[in-house]
Amino acid sequence: MTAVGAGAPPGPGAAIPEVPASAWEQALRELSEAGFDCLDFLTAVDRGHCRQVIARIRRSADWQAAMVSTQVAAAAPVLASATGVFPGASWHERETAEMFGIEFEGLADSRPLLLRAQPAKPPLLRGEFLPARVARPWPGAAEPEVGADGRRAGNPSRRRQRPLGVPDEPAQGRP
Amino acid sequence: MMTPEPAHGAIGLDPQACTSCMLCVRECPTWCIELGSHTEEVSDPGARRPRTVNVLDSFAIDYGLCMYCGICIEVCPFDALAWSPDAADPTADPGGLVLGIDQLRGWFATPSDS
Repeated sequence: MTAVGAGAPPGPGAAIPEVPASAWEQALRELSEAGFDCLDFLTAVDRGHCRQVIARIRRSADWQAAMVSTQVAAAAPVLASATGVFPGASWHERETAEMFGIEFEGLADSRPLLLRAQPAKPPLLRGEFLPARVARPWPGAAEPEVGADGRRAGNPSRRRQRPLGVPDEPAQGRP
Repeated sequence: MMTPEPAHGAIGLDPQACTSCMLCVRECPTWCIELGSHTEEVSDPGARRPRTVNVLDSFAIDYGLCMYCGICIEVCPFDALAWSPDAADPTADPGGLVLGIDQLRGWFATPSDS
């Protein structure tokens, strides 16, 4: 298979080889047969229109790493489980299912892994606001306090700073 | 606790270099930095009016929240933050991971190479 970079370890910013979702399990199997026998990591990224699933697999002989990715539609995020090839993928897939709402077909263990209670929507999707971001005041809102002379420093008309990624109306962020 | 250098074990602060500009606090993705400051007026000889300067009162990093991304170090215009090879010690409760100026100053004195 040429799609998978099984040579030099992928550095930061390197493009990750991509396979169609239908070929995901087969791509992993081919890597496994090529000596990449140790699943290092499996996670997902919310790309908006789709969710990208990424796996990093190492070759225990020389510890070389290969990465492979696929995309599943945001509307129907279903992907074949990698546990048939790498049983250790179970832990990562449970986490990815919980955090990104991806359903892994064939994943035998679907118990929640990290969250005490599954929220209405997966918390790591970009459209979701973390409750902690709403509940806790932003430390960046602080300004140097009023000086000893009672005058406030800086230009009082300056627009108030807002934290990135938090809605203006906190109520909007409540799940 | 030491790790091989150059290591990103903890973040140290030089309180003398910090101008309380709040850039690190506002850029921190995990909201783990809390900074307290006030302003004072300084009269320079020959100046027509006094200058207003920020004075740093408190600076704390919550190592229970910090993800060691180093953005605070990158954005600091005054190089008041730096990586240290030391690491925050384990504590019995999460509040013990909030470390203030005294601890952070010590880490600034032992910087990493990068």
